[in-house]
Amino acid sequence: MKCNIQVVICECCVSKPALLDIPALQKIASEAGNVTSVIIADAVCDGENLSGVMKEAREKEVDRAIVLACHKRDVDPSLFKAYARAGVPANLIEIVNLREEVVLPGAAEPERAQAKAEAKLNAAVARVRMLEPLEKDTEEMRTRNIVIIGAGVAGQAAAEVAARSGAHTIMIEKTGKSLKSPGVLMPHTTVIDGKGYGGNFTLRIKAGEKVEDLDCAAVIVATGGGWATLKGPLAKACKDAIPLFKLHEKLESDTTPAGPVVIVDTPDPSGKNVKVQDFAWEESLETAARLKKAKPDTDVWIVFQEMRAFGLSELAYKEAAELGVRFVRYDKPAPPKIDPKEPTKLTVKDSAQAEVISINFGTLVFASIPANADNARIADALRIPMSPEGGVRRGSMQRWPVSTPRPGVFVCGSALFPKSRAVAEAEGTAAGELAAEFVKKGEIEFGGIIAKVEQEKCSACLTCVRTCPYEAPFIGEAGKIEIKAQLCQGCGMCAGICPSKAIELLNYTDDQLGTEARTLLGGDF
Amino acid sequence: MAAHRPRIVGFCCERHGMDAVVLAARSGKTHDASVRLVQVPCSGRVDGLHILKALEDGADAVVVLGCLEKNCYYDTGSIEGRKRVAYVKSMLKEAGVEPERVEMFNAASTNAWAFPEMVSKMADVVKRLGPLGSGGEER
Amino acid sequence: MTAAKALVDKGANVVLVEKSESLGGMARGLTCKGLAECRNCGVCFAIDRANDMMRDANAEVLLISEVVSIEKEDGGFRVKIKTSPRYVTDDCTGCGKCVEVCPVEGKAVFPPTGSGQPRIHRIDRTKCLHFKRGACDKCASVCPTKAIDYEDRATNVTRKVSSVVYATGIEAIDAKDVSRLGGGRLEDVVSSVDAERILNDKGRLVRPSDGKAPKRVAMLQCVGSRSVRAGVEYCSKFCCKYGTKIAQMMLDTDPEINLDFYFMDLRTLYEPQDEFKAWAKGKKTVKLIRSMPAAVSRRDDGKLLVKVAGETDLEIHENEYDLVILSVGMRPKGADTELAKALGITADAYGFAQATDALRDSGVFLAGAVSEPMDIEETAIKAIATASKVASGKEAAR
Repeated sequence: MKCNIQVVICECCVSKPALLDIPALQKIASEAGNVTSVIIADAVCDGENLSGVMKEAREKEVDRAIVLACHKRDVDPSLFKAYARAGVPANLIEIVNLREEVVLPGAAEPERAQAKAEAKLNAAVARVRMLEPLEKDTEEMRTRNIVIIGAGVAGQAAAEVAARSGAHTIMIEKTGKSLKSPGVLMPHTTVIDGKGYGGNFTLRIKAGEKVEDLDCAAVIVATGGGWATLKGPLAKACKDAIPLFKLHEKLESDTTPAGPVVIVDTPDPSGKNVKVQDFAWEESLETAARLKKAKPDTDVWIVFQEMRAFGLSELAYKEAAELGVRFVRYDKPAPPKIDPKEPTKLTVKDSAQAEVISINFGTLVFASIPANADNARIADALRIPMSPEGGVRRGSMQRWPVSTPRPGVFVCGSALFPKSRAVAEAEGTAAGELAAEFVKKGEIEFGGIIAKVEQEKCSACLTCVRTCPYEAPFIGEAGKIEIKAQLCQGCGMCAGICPSKAIELLNYTDDQLGTEARTLLGGDF
Repeated sequence: MAAHRPRIVGFCCERHGMDAVVLAARSGKTHDASVRLVQVPCSGRVDGLHILKALEDGADAVVVLGCLEKNCYYDTGSIEGRKRVAYVKSMLKEAGVEPERVEMFNAASTNAWAFPEMVSKMADVVKRLGPLGSGGEER
Repeated sequence: MTAAKALVDKGANVVLVEKSESLGGMARGLTCKGLAECRNCGVCFAIDRANDMMRDANAEVLLISEVVSIEKEDGGFRVKIKTSPRYVTDDCTGCGKCVEVCPVEGKAVFPPTGSGQPRIHRIDRTKCLHFKRGACDKCASVCPTKAIDYEDRATNVTRKVSSVVYATGIEAIDAKDVSRLGGGRLEDVVSSVDAERILNDKGRLVRPSDGKAPKRVAMLQCVGSRSVRAGVEYCSKFCCKYGTKIAQMMLDTDPEINLDFYFMDLRTLYEPQDEFKAWAKGKKTVKLIRSMPAAVSRRDDGKLLVKVAGETDLEIHENEYDLVILSVGMRPKGADTELAKALGITADAYGFAQATDALRDSGVFLAGAVSEPMDIEETAIKAIATASKVASGKEAAR
C-alpha cells in the first residue's frame, strides 16, 4: 500500500510564542520512515502558502498528511479542500494540536514542551502509517416528502414553513379535524410503525381502516399534549371538570361558564401522573383575566403550587390580580381535595394564611395536561428517545434544538412537554425550517469513519445492538452482526464494548489507538 | 535524584473534551506537561483494553475525557466511557493496582477550569502513589 | 448567532456586527453548570455558535463595530459600519502577560470576556498610556507572540444587504442599583453575573474579600425584577433556572456548604416544578425560603446579615452568611436607540422591541431577548424561526 506522508509545520500555530525547537521537529519528521515531504509554512490554511504546500504534495506523490497546528475545527476548510484536489482524502489528514495542547499551556514548564511535541509528532506518524483511505457513499432520497405527525399549532407552523421552502408536506392527524394546509392532510390517520433512516424513511400508517406504507425523507413529530385526558384524584372526584382549552373555547364562543370558576394547576397535585409544566401559567392568567373582564361578577379563583408566570406573563398576573382574580397557593403535602360526595366543593389549605378554605364552584378547570399517550408508539416507530414524563426527548444541547439524535427526525411543541401556543408555534417553525433544509440536499451522505464487523469473531451476543443509540448494528442473514452504514454515526461505542472484539471503528481501530498511545508514552517526559 | 515526572496518557473526545482543552489554553491557563492526549471521536470508543494496554506500555495513570453526561454529542457516549473506566478500576483493584490511577472526567466547551484541574489532580495522584507497579523506582 | 448560522446554512451571506470585542452575547460571561452531568443551561450552545461564526467562510464577523448609518436602497439596505481598533492582532494567544504588566490603575488592556470568541485581548485607548502620553509599551515588549499593534486603525465599510436582523440582546440589571441589598457596597455581596465569572475562572465559588470558600451562602432571587420600585415589573424568565443551577454547582463542588435560597416563586424553566425542591430536600444543608429579604448589612465581625421576614411567623430575622449572591434580572437594550428608530423599530415602556408585520415587510426582523424575556434555548428556537422568515421574505442574496 502506498504511504507517502507530508508533514506540514504551521508556524503561526507552533511558534507563537516561541517555545519549541522547530528545526528539531523538522529533522525528526524528515528522518521518519514514509515521510517524503516536510514543509514549514506560516498560516498554512490562510491561502497564500497553501498552493506551495500542494505543489510539493503533488510532486512527492503524497497520499497522506500530518499538519502540526491547532485544533482540527479551527483549521480553515480550504486546507482540506486543497488536499482533496491533490489526492489526499480527509481521513488521511491528521491535524496535531500542538498549539493548545503543548505551546499555549507550556509556559508552566517550558523545558518539557519539546519532548511532548516530539512525542506527538512521532505518534502522529506512527498512526498515519496505519490508516487506510476511506470514502463516503451517497444515496438519493426516494422522495422529498416531509411527514408531519400532528396538525396542531406546532404541526401547522412546521407545514407552512416547509412548504414555503418548496418541500412537499404530508400532515398526519389522528382526529377528523379539517383545516387549510399547504400540502396534504390525512385525517383519521396514525403512524403505527416505521423503518429506514433520515432521507429514506418508510412509515407504516393506518388511514381509517386501511394500512399503507408511506415513504418520506424527514419526519416532524408534533403530536402535542394529552389535551383531553384528565387523570388524577381531583379529576376522578369531579367528573364535570374541564381542561383549560375548553374554558378558552367557551370564551371564544361567548358561552358563560357557570361561576364561581376555579382553575386548579393540576388534577394530580402529587405529581404522579401529571406534572405541572410551563404552559399552565401564561394561558391560565390570560384566560382568567379575559373571563373577569367579560363577566366581572363571576368569581374566579386560581389554585396553584407555584405561580410560574414567566417573562411578560408576569404582567398578566398583575392584571389578573387587579381585576379581582383570587389566588390561593398550596403546598404539596396539603393539596386541594374534593370529596366525591360533594363534587362541587374544593377544600384547600392556603399556605400564605395557613388556613383551610372551601370554595363552592360552578366550573372546575385544570390547567395541566399529561403527555400525549401516543408518544410511546411514535417514539418506538421512529426509534427516538422519550423523557421520563412521557414526552418525546430532544437530542442533547450539542445538537440543534427541536432535533433528535436521529438525522431527519425533528420534534416540536407539546410533544416535548406541554407548552404555550406561542412557543409551540416557534418550535414548529424551527422544525419545519430544519426539515426543509435537510430534504433540500436530495441525497444523504454516509460511510467513511464508521464501524465494521469481523463476522467470524462475532458471537451474536447483541451487546452492540443494546449499546448503539442509532440502531446501526443488526443481525444479518448470516446470523452475525452487520452495520447499517446509513445509520452509523461513527462514535465507536460498539467497538469499545464488544466483548469478542469483533467490531472496529475505521480510522480509530484498536491497533491505531494502541500504537498512538504507546508512541506518546515513549521518550522523555 | 530528580523527582519522577508523571507519565499520563489521556483519551480525549474530539467534541467538548477537546473544546475544553482549547478554551483552557486560550484563557491563559497553564498546566504541567504530564498528560499526553489521544483524540477519539467519542469517549465511548474507549475500550477497557486501551486503558490497560496504556498502563502496560508505560503510563503511570490513564484518563478519559468526555462530554458531560446527557450532553454527549453521541447521547450515551460519555456514560459508556464512564462505565468502561469503572470496569477497569474494579479489575485494577483485584490485581492489586491502585484504582485511582484511572479516572473519567467530563467537561463542556465553556469549562475553562476543567482540563487544568484534571491535569493537576492526576499529576498529584501519580506523585503520591509513585510510578506504576515499582513503588518509587526511577524509569 | 443562531439566526446567522441558520442563514449561512441556507446559502446566504451574512454580516454579523457586534459592538463588543467578542461573540457570545450575555452567554459569554456564563459557564457550564454541570459537573459530570449536563444541566441544560444552554451556555455551550451559545459558545458553540460563536465558534461556528468565527469559522464560517460565508459569515463576515465585524467585532468592536457599530452601524453608523442605514439607508433603504433598491429594496434592501445600504449599511455603513465602523470598526474600532482592537490594537491586538490574531496572534494573541490569550496568555494574559500584558494585563500583568499594564501599569494603569484598573488596567488598559483586557482579556477576552468569559468564553467569548475569539480569545483575543484588546486595549482601551482612552486608558492606555501609550496613547494618552505617547509613552509606555510594556505590553508590547512582554507579549510572547508580538500581538500588540498600536498602529491599528478604525475602518469603515459599507455593505448592501437585503434584510436586517436586530438582535441587540439584554444586559443584566446592575447590582449597584440595589444597594439596599449590598450590591456595589459590600464586598462579599456579588451578583449572579459575578458569581458566574468566579465559577468560570476558578471552578468553584470563593469570596471576593479573601478568596476563601464560603461556608454559609444566601442566594436572593428576583433582584431588580418583578419590582414596581425598579420599574421592571416583568419576570426576567431565566434567573430561576440559572440561580438554581448555580446552587446545584455550588453543592457539587462543596457538599458541606450551607445554602439558603430566598425566592418568591420557583420558575425553573423547562423543568418539572418540583425538581429543584426535590433536590434541595435531598441535601441537608439547603433551605428554600419563600420570603424576600429587605436589606443586607455587614456586622463588625465581617459577617453579612440578611434581614428578612419569616415565612410563616412574620417576625423579622437577621440571618448571617459569608457570601450573598443577588440573582439579578435583565433589561433589553438597543431597542430605543437612533438606529432602532431609523429601522422602524419601536420599543414598549420596558424597552422591549415590538415585532410588527410592518417591520417584517420592510425587511427588518427581530431575534433574541430584545423583544421579550427568554433563555438561551428559546432564543435559539425563535432565531431559527426568524431565519426562516428572513429567507422567505427576500431573495437571499446578501
